[in-house]
Amino acid sequence: MAGRQLLMNFPVTATSHTLAEYRARGGYAAIDRTLRTLKPQDVTQEVLAAGLQGRGGASFPTGRKWQVVVPGDGQPHYLIANADEGEPGTFKDRWILENAPHLLIEGMLLTAYALEARHCFIYIRGEFDLPYRRIAAAVEEAYAAGWLGSRIAGTDFSCDLIVYRGAGAYVAGEASGLIASLEGKKGYPRNRPPRLTVKGLYQRPTVVNNVESLANVTVVMRDGAAAFRTVGTEKSPGTRLISVSGHINRPGVYEVELGFPWRRFIDEDCGGMLGGRALKAIVPGGISSRVLTGADIGPLALSHEALWDVNSTLGSGGMIVIAEGTCMVRLLHIMMRFYHHESCGQCTPCRHGTGWMHRILERIVAGQGRPEDIERLYYIAKYNDGTTICGLGDAAGYAAAGILDKFRDEFEYCIEHKRSRYEGRIECLRS
Amino acid sequence: MPEILINGRKVEARAGQTVLEAAREAGIFVPTFCWHPQLSTAGNCRMCLVEVEGRGLDIACNMPVSAGMHVLTDSPDVQAHRRAMLQFITLNHPVDCGICDKAGECSLQDYHYAYNGQPSLSVEPKVRSTKYYNLSSRILLDNERCILCLRCTRFTHEVSKSMALGVESRGDVSVIRPVADRPLGEDPYSDNIIDLCPVGALQSRQFLHKTRVWYLEATPSVCPGCARGCTVQLWHRKREWHVKALDPAQNASIARVTPLENPAVNGPWICNKGRDLAKIFERKRAAGPMLLGAPATLEAALERARELIGAARHPVALVSSWGSNEEFAAFQRYLGAVFTGYVKCDARPEPGERIEDDLLIRADKNPNSAGARALYGDAPDELPEGTDLVLVWGEGCDFGALPRGANVIFLNAYLAPENGHAAVFLPTTIQTERSGHYTNFCGVVSGFQRCFEPAAGAVDAEALFRALAAPARVHA
Amino acid sequence: MKSLVLEFEAMRARFPAGFESSLVLPCLRRIQEERGYVADSDIEELARFLGVPAIQIEEVLSFYTQFRRRPVGRWHLQVCRNVSCSMRGAEGLIAHLQRRLGVAPGATTADGRFTLTTVECLGSCGTAPAMMVNDRYVENLSPESVDQLLKELE
Repeated sequence: MAGRQLLMNFPVTATSHTLAEYRARGGYAAIDRTLRTLKPQDVTQEVLAAGLQGRGGASFPTGRKWQVVVPGDGQPHYLIANADEGEPGTFKDRWILENAPHLLIEGMLLTAYALEARHCFIYIRGEFDLPYRRIAAAVEEAYAAGWLGSRIAGTDFSCDLIVYRGAGAYVAGEASGLIASLEGKKGYPRNRPPRLTVKGLYQRPTVVNNVESLANVTVVMRDGAAAFRTVGTEKSPGTRLISVSGHINRPGVYEVELGFPWRRFIDEDCGGMLGGRALKAIVPGGISSRVLTGADIGPLALSHEALWDVNSTLGSGGMIVIAEGTCMVRLLHIMMRFYHHESCGQCTPCRHGTGWMHRILERIVAGQGRPEDIERLYYIAKYNDGTTICGLGDAAGYAAAGILDKFRDEFEYCIEHKRSRYEGRIECLRS
Repeated sequence: MPEILINGRKVEARAGQTVLEAAREAGIFVPTFCWHPQLSTAGNCRMCLVEVEGRGLDIACNMPVSAGMHVLTDSPDVQAHRRAMLQFITLNHPVDCGICDKAGECSLQDYHYAYNGQPSLSVEPKVRSTKYYNLSSRILLDNERCILCLRCTRFTHEVSKSMALGVESRGDVSVIRPVADRPLGEDPYSDNIIDLCPVGALQSRQFLHKTRVWYLEATPSVCPGCARGCTVQLWHRKREWHVKALDPAQNASIARVTPLENPAVNGPWICNKGRDLAKIFERKRAAGPMLLGAPATLEAALERARELIGAARHPVALVSSWGSNEEFAAFQRYLGAVFTGYVKCDARPEPGERIEDDLLIRADKNPNSAGARALYGDAPDELPEGTDLVLVWGEGCDFGALPRGANVIFLNAYLAPENGHAAVFLPTTIQTERSGHYTNFCGVVSGFQRCFEPAAGAVDAEALFRALAAPARVHA
Repeated sequence: MKSLVLEFEAMRARFPAGFESSLVLPCLRRIQEERGYVADSDIEELARFLGVPAIQIEEVLSFYTQFRRRPVGRWHLQVCRNVSCSMRGAEGLIAHLQRRLGVAPGATTADGRFTLTTVECLGSCGTAPAMMVNDRYVENLSPESVDQLLKELE
């Protein structure tokens, strides 16, 4: 086990996701106690003190986001759980939705109390089937038991929760694209300012938090900020749910205490590399995070600061493990096909940049690369960085520049010899 | 009043302004495609990226001013980014300026020469799209030229409110499309999107491939289509580009009409009726003066008219609500003491025409009813008992309703059956052949200027009024 | 759409006042579940019911990949081909399905039984390769398990 566990600390059974079992594990005690003994701002203070960072990708301090919302400003506030888990390699929120839905609901109640939000939403990606059925059933259970609705637990606090299903758009996972989608429109992200915490859903102050962040709010309020801080590192308190996929023996979702040695996590928890192959590279936090080589991660711990130090990020916790012998040109080609497919087309650099990079890579893969292609990819990546409305264009550039930085020779080989050094191989089936 | 620095220069900005607005007010140009002062901020073209010292680059159109900020609109980094944005925008653009009506007044063309000037860095095949998509009977869309600035969709959502346009699909295959059940053709303001389009994607079918815009010049004018009196520009061939071998009628015809921005009246918009002024002005003209339908010289016609005026006991004038303030003054000066004047409604709504809305279109389809009403009352349903002479000035008069036995002096510019029924018919000039002013329904006075020579035989009404009062030499 | 109006009314009651526009996505989903796709007449009726512009609904239908304007086969196979699935054999699997069904991605078999589509990331990377069969996830696929599945799907 990769350190201590805060979220996955119970055995998953056929019924462990139900309200009854959640209550038996001490569930809804935190909200009950909070409603009776704490003021809304106490919750924010506690989450700030816990040093909880967002688990969606940007790792922004959760409490600081909440502080922008002004209590008692006379307008409705909204809370949205971002369950539009779509970053390739990421499937950890799905685990919470399927196995611990009430942990999320309780975290949302605590957050709604802190924000004085009467209405909450869970925006869940449209493809998710079981996660949707589980969270929808949990919401019904919570309503029936009085944990949602009017006068919760006999207090003056009322809160409604709607599960809202997306319909297939990666960009709707970006907070402002999500809000556009929740308003029933195409998921075009929006320029900031204004911030969503000032003008969000229907122009009202809105907090969009990741599912895992909200589940952690329950943990913080259950155990207290001080206890939360004893887990993880000083700069990255707590744990991260890491979803591991790729050339690995035991893919799946793991809870990792921040600061845990990375290599040990791969070799022990995840059962090591598929077919005993050497580790070539790792995508640490979804394909939008910069790739690292096997050598890079050798001495590293899994923490936000350790990843920032090597110019990457734990991002969404979507870890893709890549074995030696894999063609990085093909891999980047597949990534770029994805960004091209998912670009909403609203702003110039991303609309054209993703397609441009995709077509260049398609050509290189087809053995028609040109010597200037590498510089061209860098150029496109550079001018997508910080020039787009949302992060999709930047991310496409990071993915490209990240792989080119580390594996430039593979691209040069492919362009010069008109074929991949690894024959375009990307799979590594179970031996 | 936050003070900011733009390129080292102190600029007084207003609180709540964006950097783009502050820069433009200070005379510092920042290029834009999607931004438009009358539309919501889309911030999608990224052309207005500027550098803020210590904060990096961001778009000026969505950047609030804050005191002390130092904005660089032309730093090396900004220049490099502008070049890159133009590389992206032209990536799939056909660059077919040679056959594009927008050439010569295209933002993309201008910015390319001003800020980029380099050939495309791309060797990839361009994404192909629809070339001639029928948005309506008036507008063609070339999706390959479209840069998705969304000015047109925003216009139909925010200004004309027809909700007629949207974006279909996503990414680099996104296309502007009209909604299925409510075609853009029902939007009486639709043609504004042609002007709004910063590139050649939206094209007027009526103007399509008719002429290059650099052969044209614009004369300021006022749309006579309703009491709003929108200021417009009438585009016609420059004198030095008059054609001789081809159809010379082109030299005296309106190639297109565009709005002349005017915050007091119409902002930057006009309705489609205003685009179609050629339909009004280029109707068949009356050939010359007539006496009871028989051609006559101008002198003879004026002589006969003066006789009728001299003999009349109760002369009435139906004053044209298409007359200019100058013409009203001339009428008052020369004939005001003789005639009892009434304001005549020259034009009424056509079948299918929008009567009135809360944007521009007014129910009164005459440009100068207000100017006329300042002097005369509205015409009664029946003219007073004993009226023995009626001077009918302009169109819209039901001759059958005039008092039986009364003589008629008729001043009209266009060929009409009634012309031959008048005791005296005198052909007049039209708005494009003279200068003057109209007063719109809320009292704003706007001027129009002459852009064409008067049609053969047509005389200014001002000169006619003077000649009707006393014999004088009048030139047709 | 008419048969769903009561359901839509109930849905509207759950949302805060003024959130009619938000109902576009859930209503379209229900319409598609009932009809198999969204028809032109549905757009007009829904626009009128919710008081939103028809163009908004048309934009939504073309923006999100899950909405369809035409019917698909009885079994809609949506096979993921993103990074993690490709690393575990998705590309070979798609080729296998193409051979077995005799159609290219995007097409429906002549008997109307299967529509084959490729998609980008279903969030099933740990159980790759994965696909959706209609609304259901099927994971840890292999050519053998796919063959078995095709036999079971009538």
